[in-house]
Amino acid sequence: MAFVKVAARDTQQDTANPRALEYDALELQLHDESADVRRWAARDLVDCPSASRMLVGRLHEEGDASVREVILTALTIRGDDIAMTGLVECLRSEHVSLRNEAVEAMKQLPEKMAPIIRELLGDPDPDVRIFAVNILESLRHPEVESWLISVIETDPELNVCATAVDLLGEVGSPAARLPLHRIKERYADVPYIQFAAEVALSRLGGE
Amino acid sequence: MKRILIVDDAGTVRMYHRKILESAGFAVEEAVNGIEAIEKSLQRAFDLYIVDVNMPKLDGYGFLRELREQKLAQVPAIMVSTEAESADQSQAYAAGANAYLIKPVKPDELKSLVKLLIGEPR
Amino acid sequence: MAEIEITSADFEKFREFFYRKTGIQFEPSKRYFVDKRLVERIEATQTQNFRNYFTTLRFEASGEELQNLTNIMTVNETYFFREEYQFECLVNSILPDVVSRKGDNGPIRIWAVPSSSGEEPYSIAMYLLEFWAGINQWDVEIISSDIDTEVLAKARAGLYSDRSVQHLPLRLLQKYFKSTGDGHQISQDLRDAVDFTRVNLADRGTTRDYRDFDVVFCRNLLIYFDDISRRGAAETIYDALKPEGFVCLGHSESMSRFSSLYKVRKFDEARVYQRPADSK
Repeated sequence: MAFVKVAARDTQQDTANPRALEYDALELQLHDESADVRRWAARDLVDCPSASRMLVGRLHEEGDASVREVILTALTIRGDDIAMTGLVECLRSEHVSLRNEAVEAMKQLPEKMAPIIRELLGDPDPDVRIFAVNILESLRHPEVESWLISVIETDPELNVCATAVDLLGEVGSPAARLPLHRIKERYADVPYIQFAAEVALSRLGGE
Repeated sequence: MKRILIVDDAGTVRMYHRKILESAGFAVEEAVNGIEAIEKSLQRAFDLYIVDVNMPKLDGYGFLRELREQKLAQVPAIMVSTEAESADQSQAYAAGANAYLIKPVKPDELKSLVKLLIGEPR
Repeated sequence: MAEIEITSADFEKFREFFYRKTGIQFEPSKRYFVDKRLVERIEATQTQNFRNYFTTLRFEASGEELQNLTNIMTVNETYFFREEYQFECLVNSILPDVVSRKGDNGPIRIWAVPSSSGEEPYSIAMYLLEFWAGINQWDVEIISSDIDTEVLAKARAGLYSDRSVQHLPLRLLQKYFKSTGDGHQISQDLRDAVDFTRVNLADRGTTRDYRDFDVVFCRNLLIYFDDISRRGAAETIYDALKPEGFVCLGHSESMSRFSSLYKVRKFDEARVYQRPADSK
């Protein structure tokens, strides 16, 4: 036996991606029995104008992790309003991995997140607020630091504040010094806050 | 010396847990998500895991399930989470956790739980 | 220009960020190594201080500076038998596993991407001929792809410098290469053994026909991609593999930073990743 070349490939010409007429078929394939077929359908739908609606619809009922991952990547690439709304909904899912996957996807969409992040930071569910702080990590927006400062000054939930303190150590400026000292006083009996605020203060500079 | 793997995506939390455990005399390693934790578990044996719930790529439940199913380690695991509800705790036990702590943990609480589960550092 | 200073706090901040992004963890003893390269990049990007540079690194949409920095923090050279332990793993562990599950007599299919100038796919072919008895029983198809048509032409030509072949045992150099005036020409047999093709891992169009591989080598590539491209590339490779097929990454790369699609599999020689078996 030996080395073989099974099929010579044309190395210049790319196989065409699907066109508009094929989108209906892809929508059906998104519900096919085979995960392979569903994965390919999700990828091929990325250029279809109404893809986000189909993909979001499938995301919540999709049981196969590999298909979910591809759907989330496709939604990230699209990043339109329907995709964003679908991702935000995932933050409230009971499904832990779906929640975390959605956070990861949203971190890839900083420009799209900026207008909705304030709302999420004010969400009644503290877990959603923690996720919102996590998403801030990837946001290049002039107000990130002031949002974080406002979280540690006003959020009633200890763990939301703790997450914000952690991130301030990475993105904060000397403007965060005073708020960090204040939260240390406010949670004087919480060793973790003492520790995390000290770490953040040591990284801010400007003393 | 007994060796503990801290699995958490938050750098400050890992530093905090590390400081507590090292001051108690344990050796510590870190991983940022469940997949890295599996990789490290294949490289060497740990005596205990401290595992966060919410992490990218592979979350804490998924990690523990895989650890137990693949029989990589039957050693104790402590799950740490911000969620106090009993549904979350029972999910953690079902995934293979031996104990559950609510974040942020207190140093003495963590130290005594660790010693209860695996004894003194050496 | 004033001396650029990297404080301990800066170092810590950078260390955590770089670890989170790449999986590469610098011990405090590497401080000098890291600082020196950070200063080099701060100067090259004219960002003036660590703080500005760190902001660029974290937020630049193209991810280009993170790629530049990763490049100088890791040594990325290509030469024959680079990271040889993975080829040992291929012949001693991966292929025996593949063969034991194989239900037909068709060829075993290996995809090496990026091909770069060909050192890696030719190393694989040589390794199979020299160190894998199975080559007498099985057909093997090696396809190697790159986005860059210039390096593909170099790979097909198979002419290498002293530097490229310096880690090859002399016996193999003599057996598979012919000395020419300006280097070492790889034998026609080996050139015939590898099918070089142009592929863009980020483009579904070019990768659609790449299916049913038993093993994919994708070393020292994904670490330089931005997050969304590496997710896409990991998905492409997943669909290119047969269920239970294997992926080998570079030694400083960890799938934990790229994708959650794969299972980690530990062999004696190396850690590799495996597409899970189909659930149904």
